[in-house]
Amino acid sequence: MTDLPQGEASRRIDRAGLVIAAALAVLAGVLVWDARQLATTTMYGMGPEAMPVVVAVGLGILAIANLIDALRGNLPPRESADPRAVLLILGGLVLLIAIIGLGGGFILATSALFVTTSAAFGRRAILADSAIALVMSTLIYLAFDRLLTLSLPTGPLERLL
Amino acid sequence: METFAALAHGMAVAVQPMNLLYALIGVFLGTAVGVLPGIGPALTVALLLPVTYKLDPGGSLIMFAGIYYGGMYGGSTTAILINTPGESASMATALEGNKMAKAGRGGPALATSAIGSFVAGTIATIGLAFLAPWLVDFAVRFGPEDYFALMCVAFVTVSATFGDSPIRGLTSLFVGLTLGLIGIDKLTGQARLAFGIPELLDGVEVTTLAVGLFALGEALYVASRRHHAEEKIEPVRGSLWMTKEDWKRSWKPWLRGTMFGFPIGALPAGGAEIPTFLSYSTEKRLTKHPEEFGKGAIEGVAGPEAANNASAAGTLVPLLTLGLPTSATAAMMLAGFQQYGLNPGPLLFAERPDLVWGLIASLFIANVMLLVLNLPLVGLWVKLLAIPQPWLYAGILVFATMGTIAAKPSVVELSMLAGFGVLGFLMRRFDFPIAPVVVGLILGPIAESQLRRALAISLGDPLVLLQSSMSATLLGIALIALLAPFVLKGLGRFKASED
Amino acid sequence: MMPFHTRLFGAVVALTLAATAPALSQQLELKIMAPAAPGGGWDQTARAMQQALVAAKIARSIQVTNVAGAGGSVGIAQFVNGAKGDGNQMMVNGFVMVGALAMNKSPVTLEQVTPIARLTEEIQVIVVPANSPLKTAQDLAAAVKADIAKVTFAGGSAGGVDHVMAALFAGTIGADAKKINYIPFSGGGESLAAILGGKVTAGISGMSEYEGQIKSGKLRALGVTSEKRIPGVDIPTFKEQGIDLVLANWRSVVAPPGITPEQRKTLSDAVEKMVKSDAWKDILKQKGWDDAYLSGDAFADFLKKETIRVTDVLKSVGLVKS
Repeated sequence: MTDLPQGEASRRIDRAGLVIAAALAVLAGVLVWDARQLATTTMYGMGPEAMPVVVAVGLGILAIANLIDALRGNLPPRESADPRAVLLILGGLVLLIAIIGLGGGFILATSALFVTTSAAFGRRAILADSAIALVMSTLIYLAFDRLLTLSLPTGPLERLL
Repeated sequence: METFAALAHGMAVAVQPMNLLYALIGVFLGTAVGVLPGIGPALTVALLLPVTYKLDPGGSLIMFAGIYYGGMYGGSTTAILINTPGESASMATALEGNKMAKAGRGGPALATSAIGSFVAGTIATIGLAFLAPWLVDFAVRFGPEDYFALMCVAFVTVSATFGDSPIRGLTSLFVGLTLGLIGIDKLTGQARLAFGIPELLDGVEVTTLAVGLFALGEALYVASRRHHAEEKIEPVRGSLWMTKEDWKRSWKPWLRGTMFGFPIGALPAGGAEIPTFLSYSTEKRLTKHPEEFGKGAIEGVAGPEAANNASAAGTLVPLLTLGLPTSATAAMMLAGFQQYGLNPGPLLFAERPDLVWGLIASLFIANVMLLVLNLPLVGLWVKLLAIPQPWLYAGILVFATMGTIAAKPSVVELSMLAGFGVLGFLMRRFDFPIAPVVVGLILGPIAESQLRRALAISLGDPLVLLQSSMSATLLGIALIALLAPFVLKGLGRFKASED
Repeated sequence: MMPFHTRLFGAVVALTLAATAPALSQQLELKIMAPAAPGGGWDQTARAMQQALVAAKIARSIQVTNVAGAGGSVGIAQFVNGAKGDGNQMMVNGFVMVGALAMNKSPVTLEQVTPIARLTEEIQVIVVPANSPLKTAQDLAAAVKADIAKVTFAGGSAGGVDHVMAALFAGTIGADAKKINYIPFSGGGESLAAILGGKVTAGISGMSEYEGQIKSGKLRALGVTSEKRIPGVDIPTFKEQGIDLVLANWRSVVAPPGITPEQRKTLSDAVEKMVKSDAWKDILKQKGWDDAYLSGDAFADFLKKETIRVTDVLKSVGLVKS
């Protein structure tokens, strides 16, 4: 999260822009590498390797275009970002994935996401939010799993219901 | 007349109590979710897609119609109240609508938007009922090469409408195309970009991408810049209802907006943005109160809203007759169709007339439900937005991840969702348009398959693309649309340097 | 559809079963995995089993789980690894899985599961547009022999039953299966449009997909893949036209590896009772599925033979490397 100075100074080389251009170039490389592994079994017309190569060429050209934009400092100005809030929400997502992966169930998983997101937006009442989250996700679980018979992952809490 | 009989039959299907209930639930859920900031109709349909899993195809489509209209109206509500268009098609609405809301005239703005949507939706649905069967005959003659050419047109127009920098729009589009390559190749059964992960063999789910980019990305972005300015929500002040003067100034824009919206929306690459802005600029030119434009002129809300809704009905023409999704929402609906093994296309009318006419009839019903439900509830929707921001976004995220949890509760799928969230955040931060990524994911694989089918049939002869007059014409249109902005820009520069 | 006495017989059997079932139904609580997303053929089969097993009081409760992905490759991997030795689980599978496992180089194979029974099958058909000069399967064979590249076949996904059938057709008439011009479409509607619009020479699909169009005269059926003519359907078989092409798109149910012979017998018995139940027969009729019940060693043998046949065909068209 680089904070870029605005106005006059934004004409300088944009480092984030360079990273974007590099990422596009790498993506193009991965496409070509992957396409080379495909067997050409197609008897008529175009094989499965053609389209990835076309997309890779496009990505390559766009990488150059983005590079030029970055070197000229042509990127739109950005405001500073708060990395803590972003990391909190991402942490919530990781928790959600871990809880579901380990069989903790829907209610615990979504509650974890709710509390961390709420904290990312500046709330500090973790206990109160946890209570709200548990009640809400229990209600959602009941409404969707039981009422609409959608199968949501079950864990210890769901089995109690 | 055959159409009348079919429509009457469709009405009979749609007014079955259970289907009426589905329409009502659809409109309710659609509005409830669509009214949330940053969640447009496409995402609304994406989030609620799992809700329809357990319904029969008929009930599911009818619910879709309700969700579609509900979500669209919800997006306009946020555009008006908090200047946050739920989608690009509501941008024109936000121009005047938010000014009206700030002047305490949010009530009339919401009302003219709802009634305008109803009027336009009704007229456009009649158009759909009578013109779609005519288009079907035409559609059967579409071969793989024509479809490919059509996809080219869609690519060009869609990418050109998003964002102000063609390089950024194209970059987004190509990221989408790359994502579209992941998985088993439809024509040879070989895995591409799957890296040995079995879950990737089926490719990237459109819903996972859309939810990640839109909902997660938006939440991350808003959270990251919370310290800059708190979003303030304007309450509705003054009269909640339209005055006589408001009615007088609204009805003509409604009709004109419909005239723009339906035909352009029915064009496979017409979209909703062009007609809304055409309507806005027309009303601005025709109004008797030019001084009010830019300060909250009701015509500037009535026209674009009607155009938006009419184009939505128009979008269903290519979807139902060609199987061609021309908007993100239509793409979501296509996903819904395919889930039941139904392929929208030339034969849907012939194979499942009950469903098609039921859907068209339920569009009428959904429109009525929308009006019935939303006019009295304007005050309530505003209260929903008054939920404190932390809980609002936490709730949005819970609901957003729920779709994926319900559809594919695997660690790989959820990780992809989180990854797309980060991508959406970074794209917002570095000002890349989001929508072309989804468009690329949807259209890319279709375009590739159709091209390769055409080439397989012609034994590799690329001239097949030009031999069909239809595909030759469409490719020509695509080429012109692709080059025109660059040419115009070049001319502009040329002029500027002359000055 | 179903003769009256068959239904009567079914009803009698169901009544007899209902009288003897309770002892068994108290114990059975099964989990059936559909290795596909909700809505598809395998999911429908799993849910039909759930419905019939519960309705006929053979099991107390059935839970259907969906594990979608790659033609069942994801599902079978989870099934073989996660349900090993569990006598209360079953998985639905079918013809398409055989090809999908081979093409996706799946580390798990159908040899690892415990076969229970084949349940249903669908006969395949080759059609041409009504205005096509091809009148019989032999005409099509002649066209393929004349110039194999120019004869385009429209059908379902690559490596699926339609594709295998196109390759088998070419192989049977002595043409080079590797050279067939097979064009996969993603759905029946889409391939149907290509056939009706005359974009391809012929179309291949399950009988039910094209039945309406054949009856309405828009498509002409050149042959069906059954051993004998389907009762009530006036379409010659390939066999009677001198082309030895017999094939069906079957669906079956299997149990996890490592279960005891007793567990296997319990599951087999439950499925056998289900197949004979009225509830199951009603479902078959309602969905238009053909009963193809085959159990025990006969089914295990069939599964082995089909696996070899499909893998050979896929190798011959180059979809699987030998």
